Amino acid sequence: MTTASEDESAPSRIDEEDESLKLESDVELLKRAWQNEKGAPEILEYQSALVRRTSQQIHLMEDLIEELTKRGDDPLIVSIYQMDLDRTQFLLRSYLRIRLQKIEAAMLHVAKTDLWNRLSRQEHNFAQRCIEDMGSHMDESVLSKLPSGYQSNLKQSNASDEDDMVPEPNLNTFVFCKRQNSIGAIPLDDSGDEIVDLVAGTHVCFSYIFGLLLHVCALFSKPEDGGHC
Amino acid sequence: MEQAEMYGRRGCQLVKELASAEPGQLTRFNDDLFNQVIKECNVHYSQFYELTRKMQEEGLDVQFTRNADHFGMLIHHLSLLRNKRCLMAYMYKRADILRSLSWKVGRVLPPEIEGKLSDIEKHYFKNHASALQCYMREMDCLDLTVDMVPPKDPYIKVRVLEDIGVTAIGDKDTNLACHSIHFLKCTEAEPYIMQGMMEELVG
Repeated sequence: MTTASEDESAPSRIDEEDESLKLESDVELLKRAWQNEKGAPEILEYQSALVRRTSQQIHLMEDLIEELTKRGDDPLIVSIYQMDLDRTQFLLRSYLRIRLQKIEAAMLHVAKTDLWNRLSRQEHNFAQRCIEDMGSHMDESVLSKLPSGYQSNLKQSNASDEDDMVPEPNLNTFVFCKRQNSIGAIPLDDSGDEIVDLVAGTHVCFSYIFGLLLHVCALFSKPEDGGHC
Repeated sequence: MEQAEMYGRRGCQLVKELASAEPGQLTRFNDDLFNQVIKECNVHYSQFYELTRKMQEEGLDVQFTRNADHFGMLIHHLSLLRNKRCLMAYMYKRADILRSLSWKVGRVLPPEIEGKLSDIEKHYFKNHASALQCYMREMDCLDLTVDMVPPKDPYIKVRVLEDIGVTAIGDKDTNLACHSIHFLKCTEAEPYIMQGMMEELVG
């Protein structure tokens, strides 16, 4: 038995459920992007559409919670929505924060390589400012006081052929990965004595750069071939 | 007779000071030692220049001749480079710590840390904090300095450790008097906890 007020509120309850379902799938995507960013030693591609959608959905959730609180809905339901919102906000903040900290740690390297293309417009501005601030900091404290020919931020001296003072992230750090598709048996050394069988759902640990190579192999091999590379 | 001076000893001392500090902690900026290393660099350069001049006066090709003077120049050049790397490592590592501090304490440095910095470092800290603020403003004022740990409970119980006074928390004013206990949202309490002005009450 339904009353008139329950009938009127029924469509908005379905909308709210739709919203929370949409939020969940984007949250899963954001969680994966966050995990990848956390694990990888270098900065990854910026997920601009995902960030934009998540920000919009966060605003919608905030409005929804405000409305539910004003309506005097069950505080338990409101606090569950609040916890869901907090979780999503944490993921978004942490994702952006990890990226900024990676830029801070390797600002010159990011600016010099194609990693620059993985940054958002706002991150470009931030990186530019970081580079200028660090440049003037080094200049004022050290470089301007050194003899000419030794005043470069990028090169040890004018005698250097390339920029030999630019710190880079270590791509040989080990990362834990979970395979999504099977790419079959991969030999770990030239003799083929040691192989690793990469089946969907398995967890493996290897160096990041080896993982990048495997990813490239997976793009060119078909799962049913057993894909050796 | 003059005692032989070990090249790069002071630069090494500077780096050792950095390495022996607690991780993430800053020691007092060693102005004295820093300036001595810079002075050593300039001495190396003037001696390098002297040797170049001497070889030119002797009519020798500075780039290709391999004699004692050439190797003397090489030693001065390499010592200079080593000192440069030590100086830059010292400044860079300290700047690294300052950057991580700006995530924790925001734009205002606690006085006990500020006392350990050189003027140039104080200026750098301000610049970096400002760069972060700019980014957050561009991202629709999303505050990235809160939510540093995954959320457990939406609200936490805190005790105020310093007299903060009446402050707007959320949409109402709260009197944050010393020793008072409050039930606040995690993100509202976090900046105060980071600065040591509040502590979380567990249990």
